[in-house]
Amino acid sequence: MLLFDIVFNGNDTMYAEAVEAVNAAIAQYGEDMAVGFPDTAYTLACFYAETGNKITTLREAKEALTYIKSQMLRERRLDSGFKSGVATALAAELIEAMKYLNGAKPYEEPYLGHMSDAQIRELGVPLVTGDIPGIPVIIGPAPTVEEACALVKSYQSQGNFVCLVGGIIEQLKEAGYKTGFNVRVYPIGENISSVAHAVSAACRTAMIFGNIKPGDKAALQEYTFNRFRAVVNAFAPLDEKTVACGAGAIYYGFPVITNDMDYTPSVPKSLIKQPNIEEFNATSIEARDIRIKITNIDIPVAFASAFEGEIIRRKDMRVEFDGSRVDCAELVHTCEMSEIEDHRITVIGPEVDDMPDGSKNSIAYVVKVAGRNMQPDFEPVIERKFHNYINCIEGVYHTGQRDMQRIRISHDAFNAGFRLKHIGEVLYSQVKNEFDAVVDKCEVVIYTDPAECTRIRHEVAIPIFNKRDDRLATLTDESVDVYYSCILCQAFSPSHVCVVTPERLGLCGAVSWLDAKATNELDPEGPCQIITKERVIDENLGSYEDVDEAVQKYSRGALEHVTLYSIMQDPMTSCGCFECICGIEPFSNGVVIANREYAGMTPLGMTFPEMASMTGGGVQTPGFMGHGKHFIGSKKFMKAEGGIERIVWMPKELKEFVAERLNKTAFELYGIENFTDMIGDETVAQDPETLVAFLTEKGHPALGMEPMM
Amino acid sequence: MPFNQKPQKFNAKINTVTIGTGDKTVTLGGNSTFPFYTFDAPTVNTPKVGVEISDLGLEALPEGAKAYYEGCTTMADIAKKAAAMEGADFVALVLEGGDPNGEDKPVEDLIAVVKEVADAVDCPLVVEGCKNVEKDSTLLAKVAEALQGRNVVVMSEKEENYKAVGAAAGLAYNQIVGAESAVDINLAKQLNVVTTQLGINAQNIVMNVGTACAGYGYEYVVSTMDRIKGAALGQNDNMLQMPIITPVASETWGVKEASASEADMPEWGPQDERGIDMEVMTAAADLASGSDAVILRHPQSVAAVSKMIKALA
Amino acid sequence: MALSGIQIFKLTPKKNCKECGCPTCMAFSMKVAQGAMKIEQCPHMSDEAIASLSEATAPPMKTIKIGAGSEEFSLGGETVMFRHEKTYVSKTRYAVNLCTCMDEAAVDAKLAEIPKVDYERIGERMYVELVNVKCAEGADAAAYTALVQKAAGLGRTMILECSDPEIAKAALEVCKDSKPVLNGANPSNYEAMNAVATAAGVVLGVTGADLNERYDTVAALEKLGNKNLVIDVTGADVKETFANAVLVRRAAIKDQDRTFGYPSIVNLVALAKGDLHLQAALASLFTMKYGSIIVMEQLTYAEALPLYGLRQNVFTDPQKPMKVETGIYPINGADENSIVLTTVDFALTYFVASGEMERSGVPINLVISDAGGLSVLTSWAAGKFSGTTISKYIIENVEPKVKCRKLVIPGKVAVLKGDLEAKLPGWEIIVGPREAVQLVKFLKDLQ
Repeated sequence: MLLFDIVFNGNDTMYAEAVEAVNAAIAQYGEDMAVGFPDTAYTLACFYAETGNKITTLREAKEALTYIKSQMLRERRLDSGFKSGVATALAAELIEAMKYLNGAKPYEEPYLGHMSDAQIRELGVPLVTGDIPGIPVIIGPAPTVEEACALVKSYQSQGNFVCLVGGIIEQLKEAGYKTGFNVRVYPIGENISSVAHAVSAACRTAMIFGNIKPGDKAALQEYTFNRFRAVVNAFAPLDEKTVACGAGAIYYGFPVITNDMDYTPSVPKSLIKQPNIEEFNATSIEARDIRIKITNIDIPVAFASAFEGEIIRRKDMRVEFDGSRVDCAELVHTCEMSEIEDHRITVIGPEVDDMPDGSKNSIAYVVKVAGRNMQPDFEPVIERKFHNYINCIEGVYHTGQRDMQRIRISHDAFNAGFRLKHIGEVLYSQVKNEFDAVVDKCEVVIYTDPAECTRIRHEVAIPIFNKRDDRLATLTDESVDVYYSCILCQAFSPSHVCVVTPERLGLCGAVSWLDAKATNELDPEGPCQIITKERVIDENLGSYEDVDEAVQKYSRGALEHVTLYSIMQDPMTSCGCFECICGIEPFSNGVVIANREYAGMTPLGMTFPEMASMTGGGVQTPGFMGHGKHFIGSKKFMKAEGGIERIVWMPKELKEFVAERLNKTAFELYGIENFTDMIGDETVAQDPETLVAFLTEKGHPALGMEPMM
Repeated sequence: MPFNQKPQKFNAKINTVTIGTGDKTVTLGGNSTFPFYTFDAPTVNTPKVGVEISDLGLEALPEGAKAYYEGCTTMADIAKKAAAMEGADFVALVLEGGDPNGEDKPVEDLIAVVKEVADAVDCPLVVEGCKNVEKDSTLLAKVAEALQGRNVVVMSEKEENYKAVGAAAGLAYNQIVGAESAVDINLAKQLNVVTTQLGINAQNIVMNVGTACAGYGYEYVVSTMDRIKGAALGQNDNMLQMPIITPVASETWGVKEASASEADMPEWGPQDERGIDMEVMTAAADLASGSDAVILRHPQSVAAVSKMIKALA
Repeated sequence: MALSGIQIFKLTPKKNCKECGCPTCMAFSMKVAQGAMKIEQCPHMSDEAIASLSEATAPPMKTIKIGAGSEEFSLGGETVMFRHEKTYVSKTRYAVNLCTCMDEAAVDAKLAEIPKVDYERIGERMYVELVNVKCAEGADAAAYTALVQKAAGLGRTMILECSDPEIAKAALEVCKDSKPVLNGANPSNYEAMNAVATAAGVVLGVTGADLNERYDTVAALEKLGNKNLVIDVTGADVKETFANAVLVRRAAIKDQDRTFGYPSIVNLVALAKGDLHLQAALASLFTMKYGSIIVMEQLTYAEALPLYGLRQNVFTDPQKPMKVETGIYPINGADENSIVLTTVDFALTYFVASGEMERSGVPINLVISDAGGLSVLTSWAAGKFSGTTISKYIIENVEPKVKCRKLVIPGKVAVLKGDLEAKLPGWEIIVGPREAVQLVKFLKDLQ
């Protein structure tokens, strides 16, 4: 039989039962009898949310039947299947409502039936905060009582609110399993029609917390799909009514997981067959994208930033791992969802117990992550946090990164029970918590077996590090589709906006394009926002309509135009935390750069603080611009005015710092060798006349270039 | 040639938020000018003054305020007396006793206080948390529940607990959400954005953008509020158009200029006078920068500040 | 529209002659663009260049100097409406009022009270800088001159609030060298007042029934060649005065109407006589919004502590944080055996942290070393609050004076603990809380 026909049949049966129940009620009480569930302002909430009409009397209940019938389309199309699914839920709701007529209390412990509005409100807050990550609805008896208990327990321990329908309730009762609203295990009723109470909870949550207007079907569906993280687990054998209800669930965005293997075809992401009850939890969590909050880290010592600066000395040390002597590595590795078992922590090789006191050992840990929004570009951003995470463990010390890290574990920590697997626990919980926007699943493998460590380091980690470095080196402004704004400094400098591009990192020197990108993905409302670069005004100046609009928006109108590559026309502004400032030196036709550390005079006749006072605070001062040290070697450095060829003077210390990159760029762009030798410094000149004489002697190219103004 | 007065017209305005129910309500916001610029456009709603009371009772109050509350033995008495203060528009209850680093009163005890106060007065109410974000998550959710139907402001919704506090106050129990950020326009805006993303109507949000005592980094307060009002009116930034409530008293009465006794600092003169002037001057500066309401402690401060507001309206 | 430094540079002789005091023409041009120097200070600029530049570079609001010697103050010279746009240049100055209508005892009491307020706050002397001497209706020249002479004895710069040219002339005879302000020109007397003020070489204050009268009077005085003016914006009530203060400033700065490009006087005694708390509120309001001189009935510590603190905050450079002096600050009666806490020299951090320490009641030696005036994390990131800088300061300045060897560091720089342990042998390094508000509990628990 086709799935459609099963749904239609189930729908017909449920509808027929509803008609029968309503007619029987009218026969008993008459059409004017009041209808409604106790303690709710939404009467029959499913019907109200779907149609905008409240059912308050048996007469209206009868009219509702007409509406429901009108939804029961019978073409074999997806739309008809879904409509019939919803019609099944509405019919079920009517059946349930008939049980509550005349003040009746149809449900007795352990069955709880209808939820009050107060309970919905109480439930709504943790649903919004994620403290209740999901709402599994389990239907029917599990194969065994043990499996029933284990499944419910697995959901409950993750903080989920579990709804139960049918045989599983008896199973829990038999096992003496504690149930109730407060322990987040809510047995609804024995019959499948009682599932309507779970649907009612979803509908009322949408109306109360989502401000969804009753009758706005599309908005209701969108809300339940995006915000109400319910998932259905239905045990074999499935009957037609349950399948029809399942169609309704899928319509609202709640996937159905079943172990009924021979009954129905599976529908990806919606109707999933899972023969193994043990896997129901993991399959459900993944299918519904439920994000479990980690509240405490399961380690025997404290974890706090107060321990960040703790140093473990040799005499206090139980064991150490040292990447500078033996093979070590730390790595974040992006995997497919299916390749990872969430929260699995494996130690391959000896534990600390098996290592001699005070010994030096190998360690390599690979944190495998997967997520819909995960990108390999975030790997180094996550990796950089390892130092901080491991250092916050009491009695554990960490320095370095990549394959050069060093870790020490103190006697005290070891004696308290701390083992390597706990490093895994810490990495797992911190990565999951801090990067929950991109990491859905996380698994940690810790290698201490020396041969394995060698393999991981040389065959896995180093090739990945090299690939990353290559990517960084090849990232150019042209090779990316978007830039990022950064307004981290606006507390100090209200109208300043940094435009961060691959070749022009933030002027503080601390925010690269990849950092900005990760910041944006992790915190979409945060300080880094996407700037498109679709509408070019002038390629050479680096001016874009998109960039101008962004700058106007984020400076709140203080700035109108910014170019990326010019210091003369609408140069980028500075907050005040620039590492360097470049300024036009008219007599040599070039620019002078001073860094923050340089205290002396420049040939401009201005010191760094004097230059800083003109360029900070988000003001545009043509001819002057703040920037990071690394920007000096960039091919985009004042490209519009001719690029780095214009640099005529830098403090000696800065010149030495940037020499390698600057010389390389100068050679690539102009074929000049040892360009820095042509650039003056404070030992050569501190006034324009001497500088020009020096530049003339060296044949500096700037002297022959077009005038800058 | 006469002076050519050019008015500064804005097409945007601050949101209007009404607190309380029945005929005893106050309305904040609604204005489309910088504070008190009546020469640009008439003021729609003048700023309001709230009286701060604490679940810890009268003990921490300055002498002059203690004298005002003389004879009050219960929180109900205190609340009634506060509501009757000359110049008072609303009462602000601070649940500072909930702070885990202080008295650490259980949530149920504090809710009892909240109910007692709410039952005693029919004026608009503002409830502030205990400053601990974790405790506030549960405490303020319960406050919102306990005061259903009173249309109160539940303050102290912060970046760390906006979901719990915002969802309870703004969605579950239809109160007004007071979004609190730390003296930074971008943080203030970000919190408003995520709060509205929860589904809370922007018209049901007020902001506490943070304040300081005059002399204690107050320049950040001035510039934050100046910029927020500038963006709200000049840029029509609807994520910054929420009215601002500023709890002044909690900042000013703790600094040494207000708390040092006359015995310790004889040359400084009477302690109460110093405290009042610190509170009054900080409040006046807040109002000049854009606060739509201030929360004060001393009856003489409340009188003076409300007098200034009336004189400027 | 303001000119950029580059535009100005193009008009300079480009000789780098250094006669203006700047090493290069470029440096000079940048300073002119910032308003720090005047274009006329270049001896080689052509007349045409000066003419074309001076109009464009002249500030929208004049800087007016009052007082003499150490009691000289600059008023006005502002370029922006809001402090986040650019630093406010000239602080609000406060005057205490004396009047011929007061009896001698009252005058003596005021004169005795005024000097009492005199203290330092973050490197700035706080005292009553100005005295307003009012000539009430019906007072004669002798009585007013006597009062002025008496007030002059304080040595503070005066404002002579007097609209009778004859009386003013007599009073100025005894005090003109101290460069007081003569406040009292109006549409009916401005010619005579102008003569008196210019003869005495003092600033003239202009008032009128409304803004139009003030505007016309200023224009008339400028026509007479007097641009050494202030505008008394005090109106009939608070609302009108506030409107006047804002509108005068806004006309000058936003609309570039130079006739109103002068500093202002706000007289709170005229607005709220006898209501000291309302005056306090208004003093704060007009400090925020555009009062250059504020006249008050009294200025004791109660008014001064908040008002001067507010002024110090509002008139700071938004890019330059306020710094406190480095040193050991004993708190709650700390002695050489009391525990040592350290934090940065950023004024805000210092005030917030020291306030909480005081509240704790625990005796503490608070050590402030040079961290560039930045907050804890910022200075740490900039390397100005590091294991090296802290240990160096402790060894050089603290170890000789303090015996206790327990050092609490801010929780935000917990990462420094190990480094400090290595660099400060014999010291126990304790990580404190991340936020100042947690200090009270932390310190009590520590005991």
